[in-house]
Amino acid sequence: MSTILDLHTHSEASEDSRAPVEAYLNWIKLRQAERPLDGIVLTEHRQFNRDADYRRLEDKFGMIVLRASEVETDYGHMLVFGVNDDMVARFDFADVRLDAQTLIDEVARMGGIVVPCHPGRPNIGLYEHYQARPPLENVVAVEALNGGSRKGEDERSAELIARHGFAATGGSDSHLVSLIGLCATRFAASIKTIDDLVRELKTGSYEPVDFRPRRKPVPHAVVIESR
Amino acid sequence: MNNFEEINIGDTLGPLELFVSKDQCRAYARTMGMGEGPGRFTDDEAARKEGLPGMILPGNMSLGLLSKLVTDWIGSSNAWLTRMSTTYRVPVQPDHTVTIHGFITNKNPEDRTAEIDVWMENEEAERLVTGTATVRFR
Amino acid sequence: MTVKYDPALINRVFEVTEPVEAKAETIKRFCAALGETNPLFTDEEAAKKGPYGGIVAPPSFAVTFRNGRHFFENVPRFGMRGFDAGKDVEFVAPIRPGDRVTLSSHVKEIYEKTGRTGAMVFVVIRSTLKNQNDEVLAHIDHRFMNRP
Repeated sequence: MSTILDLHTHSEASEDSRAPVEAYLNWIKLRQAERPLDGIVLTEHRQFNRDADYRRLEDKFGMIVLRASEVETDYGHMLVFGVNDDMVARFDFADVRLDAQTLIDEVARMGGIVVPCHPGRPNIGLYEHYQARPPLENVVAVEALNGGSRKGEDERSAELIARHGFAATGGSDSHLVSLIGLCATRFAASIKTIDDLVRELKTGSYEPVDFRPRRKPVPHAVVIESR
Repeated sequence: MNNFEEINIGDTLGPLELFVSKDQCRAYARTMGMGEGPGRFTDDEAARKEGLPGMILPGNMSLGLLSKLVTDWIGSSNAWLTRMSTTYRVPVQPDHTVTIHGFITNKNPEDRTAEIDVWMENEEAERLVTGTATVRFR
Repeated sequence: MTVKYDPALINRVFEVTEPVEAKAETIKRFCAALGETNPLFTDEEAAKKGPYGGIVAPPSFAVTFRNGRHFFENVPRFGMRGFDAGKDVEFVAPIRPGDRVTLSSHVKEIYEKTGRTGAMVFVVIRSTLKNQNDEVLAHIDHRFMNRP
C-alpha cells in the first residue's frame, strides 16, 4: 500500500512561516481530491523540535506528521531525516556552514539520511556547487520537485539527477497554509513512523509527484490603472 | 463583505490584477519620504548600481497592496485587519502586471478571527511576495 | 553564527522619535499611490457613517512612519546596505488625520541564513507607534537583510 507524503514543509516554528500544523492538515483534508496526501514531514529551518508532539493532530485528521530538519551547508541546503539526540549533540543545526560531506556520512552512521533539497536553486543547491567543486559521496536522493522553485530550477535538478543517478523526492517547501502538498513524494511502501521513512528513503523506491494546478486565466480580475 | 458566520475556510479573495507604473512607484516612495532624487525606488540606473535589475517597489508598497486585497474584501463591514506579515522573496519591478491572491485558511470562533494567506505573483505565476493576514470580526 | 556581533546589541533601544503629524493630505496622497478607493479611507461623508466615525488611514499607512535620522547610523549593520526583507505588523488602532505619531524601537533579534542570493544576516527591529494620547497604534517587526 503506497504512501504519499509532503517531505518539505515549514510551520510557524520556522522564522519565515506563520502556518500552524493543524491548519496544514485541515487544508489537506479540504483539498484531498487534488492533493491526496497521507501526511507531512516538518522540516524547520536550522532547528529540530525534539519535544513537539503531534499525535493528537494525527488522530484528529487521520494523517501522519513526522519531524525532520532543513539545515545549511557548504554545498547548500539539506533535509535531515531521522534526527536523534546523537545528531543534535554532534551538529549545531543553527550553523549555516555545516560541512556537507561530514553531515551526510555522520547522519547515515547515526541512523538517519540526508537529502539535498532544491538542488537547482542558485547558491543553496547542489547543481551550482557541483560545477565548481568535487561531487559529494554517498548521496542517495535529492529533491527533484520543490514547490517554491523558480523558472529553470527544477530543470537543473532533473539534469543533476540524470547525471548522477540519484533517487528523486518531492516537497512543497510550504511557508503558507494554502501551499501545502503542492509537491510530494509517493512511496511504494506503507510509512507510519520516522523509522519507516528513513528506511524507505534509503531504498530509492519512491517518486516525486506534482499536484500544482496548471495555470488558468485569472477570473474576474480587476485592473487598477496607474495614476 | 460578509460576516464571520458566512465565510468559510477555502474561500478566495480577489484575485486582483494590477499594473503598477513607475510613476505610481515614485508617488508611493514620496509618501515614505524617499521619492526625491535617484534611488532604488525611483530610478532604474540607481537601482542597477545596487545590483538590482532596475527600479523596484518599496517593500512597504507591496505590503500596502496585499493589505488592500484584504481591506477591499472587508469593505465597510464590521471587521478590521489586525495583522499583516510579509516576506519579500523577489524584487517587484514596476511596469509589470502582478496578481494578488488570497485564501481563507483558518477561522477561530473564540476570538472571531480569520487567517488569510495572501501573495503577489508575476506574469509567470512566480510568487514575489507572500504574507499572512488576520482579520477580526465584530 | 559565523558573523560576530556584540550581544549587547539585542534589546538596544533607539530614541523615541519626535511626533510626526498624520496629515489629511498625506493620507490622501498615500491612498492615491496605492489606488485606494475604500470610502472609509477616502470619503469623509461615507466614513462618518462607518465604524470609525470619520476618515482613517489605510492600515498599511503605519509602516510609512520612519525612525529618526540617526536610526540608520546606529542600527547594527553587517556589510552592504540592508534591504527590507519583510514585516510583521500588528494594527492595534486606526491612524486618524491629525494624529501625532511617535515611534520607539529596539533591536529584537539578529540571525543568519543563506538563500538564493547568498549569505545574509537579518536584523529584526521592533517598533511601537503611539498617538498623542499615548495610545498604541501599531507594533511593527521590520526584518532588514544585510549581506556580510
